[in-house]
Amino acid sequence: MMRIDKTMTGVALALALMLGGGVAMAAGTDAKAADPKAAEAAKVIEHAEMARKRAASVDGEWRDTAKFIKKARALAKEGKYDAAIKLAKKAKRQGELGYEQAVSQEKLRIPSYFQSYYSD
Amino acid sequence: MNKVIKSLVALALAGGVTMTAQASPEQDRAAFVKYYKDRFPEVPMEEYPNGVYAIDKVGRENWEAIEEFPPYEPFIDSGQEMWEKPFANGKTYKDCFPDGPAIAAKYPHWDKKKGMVVTLPLALNECRKANGEKPLKYKKGPINDLLAYIAYESRGQKIDVKIPEDDPRALEAYEKGKKFYFTRRGQLNFSCASCHLQNAGMRVRTEILSPSLGHVTHWPTYRSKWGTVGTLHRRFTGCNKNIRAKPFKAQGEQYRNLEYFLTYMSNGLKLNGPGSRK
Ligand code: HEC
Repeated sequence: MMRIDKTMTGVALALALMLGGGVAMAAGTDAKAADPKAAEAAKVIEHAEMARKRAASVDGEWRDTAKFIKKARALAKEGKYDAAIKLAKKAKRQGELGYEQAVSQEKLRIPSYFQSYYSD
Repeated sequence: MNKVIKSLVALALAGGVTMTAQASPEQDRAAFVKYYKDRFPEVPMEEYPNGVYAIDKVGRENWEAIEEFPPYEPFIDSGQEMWEKPFANGKTYKDCFPDGPAIAAKYPHWDKKKGMVVTLPLALNECRKANGEKPLKYKKGPINDLLAYIAYESRGQKIDVKIPEDDPRALEAYEKGKKFYFTRRGQLNFSCASCHLQNAGMRVRTEILSPSLGHVTHWPTYRSKWGTVGTLHRRFTGCNKNIRAKPFKAQGEQYRNLEYFLTYMSNGLKLNGPGSRK
């Protein structure tokens, strides 16, 4: 009995490691954790969060990105991996676009419709 | 000869373009004034503190009716009580602001020691903290009462923001505010300038876009939409959210620098707070 218990724990641990950080594991049952989509969801969510932070670091974060990530996490927790992945991808893209938007304007550019008002 | 002239002209034009990005605050302000005068030739300068009602005749009638029984009045009264009521340690705001309560035109200003732009709400909270009181929230709630009283007492004061030359960080803060103003943000990819400069006078949904000139003269403002008075930074937050950008922290560096720039643009205009708007 003792012996089996230990093995079981070992298997669960290995599984959790395989899934890359037992977030999904801790939240769901073994059946859910075994779903390969769980790993994918965890990964996309992590990447979305990285993209969001990168955008924020240049003051380029969009309004709903963090909300999407939060929602994606909740969906993954409920085992709704497809929905979670879809939303996290959207958030990731927002993070990337927000970052690009900010860095592409690194240099101040006075819009052309306004420039002529500088000359007298 | 012709070629030389051509290249000289090209150079001057190219120079002109970069020049505008590096223009001095006074050149920026002159350009703002000139731009709006060109767009709204019939609007005298002293009308700009009235915001959209300087350019929207229909909205103005409603507004004038509302101003007969100003919805912000109770907040002025409650602000006066706050101003006069001693802190737990027996001191009052007056101990922090000996010239008070009519101190609104002193803000925002560059604080060399702190190395940052200090706004009136920030200074009020610093006074509270120095006297062992809890700081007030910066967007909603009682800070607006206090600000309403100070604004009311400061009516008629002229905006005269300075960018001190003995500290290059002051101009840097101004430049950051200017950059913020012209930077497109959010999913809708709009800058403050897109709406309040480029499209001032145009309609978005049910609202007409006001000029940025005069944007800072009348805070806090009672908005029917809010059902109460709110701060300038609350308004910034709303405008950022509308374009689906994540708003910045009220009284954080970004909005303080933005306020520094915007208020400089309104130099010479008279304070007329608190205000009321749709
Ligand atoms: C999508 C267009 C849009 C953008 C972009 C936008 N605003 Fe606004 N803003 C509005 C509308 C609409 C109102 C309400 C009508 C009015 O007064 O212009 C408003 C009102 C304001 C007011 C209050 C005016 C008053 O008289 O009380 C301020 C201040 C303001 N905006 C500042 C800003 C700043 C600063 C930015 C950039 C961070 C910004 N806005 C970006 C649409 C916009």
